[in-house]
This record gives sequence, structure tokens and C-alpha cells, in this order.
Amino acid sequence: MSKIMTVDVLSSIKGAQPSEAVSKLFDVIKNAQTTNNNPFNNNHNNCVSLNNLRDDIVVESSTLEKQIIKDNFPKEKAGYLVVSKVIDA
Amino acid sequence: MESQIQQIHQQLVDKKISCVDLIQEKLNALKENTHNTVNALLSEFALEKAINVDAKIANGETIGLLEGIPFGVKDVYMLQGTYATASSDLLKNYKSPYTATAIQKLLNAGAIPIVKENCDSFGHGSSSENTIFGAVKNAVNPELVGGGSSGGSAVNVAKDYTVFSIGGDTGGSVRQPAGYNNVYGLKPTYGRISRYGLMAYASSTDCVGPLAKSVEDIRIVLNAMSGKDTKDQTTYTSEVIEESSILNATNIKTIGYFKNFIESEAIDAQIKEDFLASIEKIKAKGIQVKELDFFKSDILVSTYYTLAMAETASNLSRLDGTNYGDRIDDKDLKESYAITRSEKFSEETKRRIVGGNQVLSQGFSDEIYLKGLALRDAISENFEKDFEAVDIILSPVTPSTPPKIGDSLKDPLAMYLSDAYTVGFSLGQLPTLTVPQGTQTGLQVTAAKNNDELVLKFANFLKDTI
Repeated sequence: MSKIMTVDVLSSIKGAQPSEAVSKLFDVIKNAQTTNNNPFNNNHNNCVSLNNLRDDIVVESSTLEKQIIKDNFPKEKAGYLVVSKVIDA
Repeated sequence: MESQIQQIHQQLVDKKISCVDLIQEKLNALKENTHNTVNALLSEFALEKAINVDAKIANGETIGLLEGIPFGVKDVYMLQGTYATASSDLLKNYKSPYTATAIQKLLNAGAIPIVKENCDSFGHGSSSENTIFGAVKNAVNPELVGGGSSGGSAVNVAKDYTVFSIGGDTGGSVRQPAGYNNVYGLKPTYGRISRYGLMAYASSTDCVGPLAKSVEDIRIVLNAMSGKDTKDQTTYTSEVIEESSILNATNIKTIGYFKNFIESEAIDAQIKEDFLASIEKIKAKGIQVKELDFFKSDILVSTYYTLAMAETASNLSRLDGTNYGDRIDDKDLKESYAITRSEKFSEETKRRIVGGNQVLSQGFSDEIYLKGLALRDAISENFEKDFEAVDIILSPVTPSTPPKIGDSLKDPLAMYLSDAYTVGFSLGQLPTLTVPQGTQTGLQVTAAKNNDELVLKFANFLKDTI
């Protein structure tokens, strides 16, 4: 099944429309000449060596950090953090 | 101007001033908020630290160079327990749960953050008008914009409200406001300073950058913040830049400038004349100057904004009001996301998110996004070739002088194009410094990747030359 998603849905922004100013920027790119059309064929990407990867360990957050994360949560009821209803209406 | 950090350090050590008085004086000046630079004052936090510094001095203990030095922090950095609003409605009540690595390193060195500084919301802008805290006013002429996105940081340094400030530079957001307010502003090589705790705008060009009134202060702060960080895997280990190593520029034999930047119809006539006059003064010192070919300004701007919008659309997708931020509840989760983002993001931020999702969507990605990546590679290759021929590339910071407050918001395309001279160096991930000399909005000094030392060295040379 093909489903076309418009930019307002993709962006989760009601009524969003492509902007004229931004479209002008994109037109420049469309019309630009490039010698290399495969951006993955080069050495300019930032890569991390496998030997340099950080350890895969869980770092416990401090009590203060946990408390601030809870404080930042937009809604609380009877000691529970409340999210919006997940099931589509 | 000589190092303010060293000067204040000496005054503290000699007990000519107390740290508490110093911090209080700066807080009092910031409290007036004359130029809309202040999002939050960190009075209690700062004064507590100042008391400790005074106690150390009174006990005869040695203090470090940065100990007790007041600084500002662009409001896109985490500093545990303080608000981190990104000058946005969505995060206006958000508190940092942790501290950014760059800021932590300054705290470890004893520097004292005193203010979270106004900026364009999420770094989206070149004028610091896209903010819920009121447009930042230019330090020289308050009818003009402060520049952006780190406008509050540049103005605070220019007005001596902070000794130095930490901005963030994605496409020119430290260098352009530095130029608009006549201070130094450095975008280091990408990866030299950890981005951990800096709210992500466009991750492949985001850089932490200091603003200050002297090359020496930029050097001191850069050294304090640099280094590998396991929390940001794009960081690398760098050498400390010694004061003595940037004093003598005799090894700089050849510099270049981009001919098309100067021959462009968009450049202000006075900026062009002043830039060329600066080139003549440099030549008179026996340095060879080469004209270089470069990509057209519209290609640079379009490539940068295509990639930056794609990255910011991804980075800001996490801001949906579920776990943090101001949520607006609606009939279900999807509607809650949509209404929260629609109501709480600014027009400019929405424009960039939508643009980013456009270029990342099927049918557009090959034609625009992947082509943008290919152009970026071509730009990087161009830089590599240039730096085989020259040691430094010199350029104006901006094609024109700061606009009046209110003008940029009316014409976003004009605002994007005003970044023509800064975005190319961001795409190349190169070290670039604005020096407040040469043209009304300064000069931009750029060197090859990882050669931040050479940039500072040439800036010192310019200090004595222009």
C-alpha cells in the first residue's frame, strides 16, 4: 500500500507548507554541477575507529540528575508521570 | 587589547579586588539587561563560587588562571540545575539535568558562569531576533541587530558584562556576531571541543566557540575546553597551544583570499575597499597574497542550509512534549505531538524543520540532500588543495553591515544569504577566527583542519599589522 506523507505529517507540524525562501535554496542545489555524485566515495566523513569506540557500559545517573529529569516531565498525577493517550482516536 | 583574564587574575592574586565584588559588579551590570542579552542570571550559584575563591586567596592558596573569572554561556548549553531554554517557547521551563563537557571543563578550571545568554532559538537565525527573550541589541548601535545566533554572548563580551562567553557556531553563529560587535570569536576545528551538552542543531558542523576581547583570552579558554571526550566520539586529542608559540608569525609566508567573495555584487562597497586595503598592508609586510577560486556564494549557502536543515529536522524530532518541554495535550499522542510543535516552535524553526523533512523525503533526497553531501565533499577537497598553496585564507566575515532590528525577520532568504562568507568554512570543519579589525565587521582568519594554532598566530600578526 502506498501512502504519501506530506511535510506537515512528516514534521508533526499542523498546516506546515514548504517555504518559498527555502525552495529557492534547494533550486540552487538542483541546478548545481557536481563532479562526484556519490557522497560515500570519499574520505571526508567523520568516522570513529572500532578500537576507539567507548565502552558499552551503563552509567548510573546521579540522584540530582534523576530528580531534574522527573521535574522536567510535563505532567504528573498521583506520583505517576503522565503521557498523552497513545491509542489513535 | 591585552588579556583581561591575566589582568583580573593578577588583581585577584594581589587582593586588589575580591572575587565576590567582581562577580557582583558583573551581575549588577547584567541585571539591567540593556541589550536583551540575559535569559537567566546565575547569581546564587556564581556568588557561592566567588566566596570559595576569596577564601582560597585569603588562605594563601594558589589559584589557577581561570579561577574566579566570570563568563557567559549561550542558552543552548547544559549547566546542571539551571534553565536551558534555547531561547524557545518549547523549553522555556526546561532545566539542565547535567552539565556540558565544555562548561564542566571551565568549571573545573575555576571559571564562574554568571549568565545564560540570549540567542536565536535553537541557533536558528543570524540576528538573535528569533527568540522569546526579545531581540538582542547591537553593542555599538542598539538600533541594529546583535548578530546571531550567539548574539547575546557577543554583546555581553563587547559591553564587558562578561570577560568571555561561550557561544556555539554551526554556520557562523560565533564569528558573525563577533564581527557585528567588534570582538574576537573562534570556531575551532570540528571535534576539538566536545559537543556533549550542547543542544544539537546540525551535528556535522556544530562547534563550541569562545568569544573574548583578545587573542590571548581566546587561547586560554580554547585550551581549557579542548580535548577528547568519550561522550562525543567526534572529538580528538589536541595539543595545548602555548602563548609563546603564537607570538611570532614568521613561518606564515603565503595567504590567500577568495576572489569571488570580493568581486561579488552582494558585498558592501566599504567592506570591499577596507578588505583590499588590509590585503595591501599584509603584502607590505612581505607576505605573498594569492587570489583563490572558490564556489559561488549561493552554492555555499544552499549546500549548508540543505544539510543543516536535514540535520536539525532529525535532531529536533525529539522535541515533542512527551518527556520534557511545554506539552499541549490533545485527543491522542500524534495530535499532542503536532499541536505542541506547531504552537511552541518559532516560525523560523518550523521553516527549517519542514525544509529538512522535504530534502530527506523520498524523491527529494537524491536530487537535493545527496547532491548537497557531494557538494560538501567538493568544497572540502577545494580547501585541501588551497591549503597546499597557502597557509591562511583571509576573508571578510560578512558581505554587509548589521541590519536594523526587524529587517531580517521579513526576508529569510536575505538572512540565509548573509551567511555566505562563514558557512563554507563550517562545511570544511576548519578552524576560523573573527578578528575585530580590517572591515567594519572584521576579518575571518582560517587555516587547515587541526591548525587552530596558526589561526591565533596570524591573528596576533594582524594585531600589529592593520
